[in-house]
Amino acid sequence: MRENVIDQSKDITILELLDRVLNKGVILTGDIVISVADIDLVYLGVKLMLSSVETMEQLKSGKPIKKPILGK
Amino acid sequence: MSYYFAMLLIYTLSAVKKYPEKFETLLSGLNGISGASLYVVKCKEISAVVSDIKKADLIASRSIVLEYAEVIDNLAKLFTLLPMRFGSVMESIDAIADMLERNYCEIQLNLLKVEDKLEFGLKVFCDSEKLKEELLTKTKDGIKSPANPAHEIENSVFREYVNKKLKEHRLEELVLVYVDSVIAEINSYLSFLNADSKIKKLPSASVMIDAVLLLPKGRKNDLIQAAGDLQNQYPGLSFVMTGPWPPYSFVEIAIK
Repeated sequence: MRENVIDQSKDITILELLDRVLNKGVILTGDIVISVADIDLVYLGVKLMLSSVETMEQLKSGKPIKKPILGK
Repeated sequence: MSYYFAMLLIYTLSAVKKYPEKFETLLSGLNGISGASLYVVKCKEISAVVSDIKKADLIASRSIVLEYAEVIDNLAKLFTLLPMRFGSVMESIDAIADMLERNYCEIQLNLLKVEDKLEFGLKVFCDSEKLKEELLTKTKDGIKSPANPAHEIENSVFREYVNKKLKEHRLEELVLVYVDSVIAEINSYLSFLNADSKIKKLPSASVMIDAVLLLPKGRKNDLIQAAGDLQNQYPGLSFVMTGPWPPYSFVEIAIK
């Protein structure tokens, strides 16, 4: 039996982990949550998170909602 | 509980059927992002694990994402759950309770699907140029250029171009047939393991197969054995497994 087929490499595991945590799992859709299912959040995360929080604050204050920033 | 931040981050959704006291104990021993206390918002038997969150902590830095993943990983070791994507925030406990109620059936269905199961990743790497060479060598007649009809000029640039494209196309076909044969072999192991799978073919030049597998907890060692057998069967390829993971890739629910 080859136990070494379970990957022990930190780099691959971290990438796999980030891919899962940022791109998979239950998605909350709606006005106040990041809804960018297939966008690479490793690169876009900051903008998207800020955009999401911004949207929530706009919702709370009753101001019109800006579209989320999706471009690089 | 402090309502100062007015934002709640959701980590997981779960239905704790057995040992609820164990769940509470485990939760009390864990911390959320930046050491925040974790607590539960309930709707019937479904629990959302949440913590208060500061705006600055919603930036997806590596360390924050790892803290988030660690909570999910610790809970998943003992309980069936649906991991939430990082960044799932709602503004109040009431909003979360409403969300759970609205999506109760879908959450239950998804929890049933992943109950007592583990996710693994399986990537098959290859040296694509080397593989193409090997496939060409193995093909009995190789890939020959079609004979030029007598009436055509032998060194026609057009013919050269068409032949080149034809060769490339046939080589791609050979690669696809080979990849399909490897996938068929993987699938035969997976059906024996009673595993669900999602398989992507040739997602990049060096990755031949990118698969995620969901299988009963008790079959982990069988999967390791199967991956070892596959590696022995295909020495020219590299089989890399990761996991076990919480069932991130098998959640099919978009919360309303």
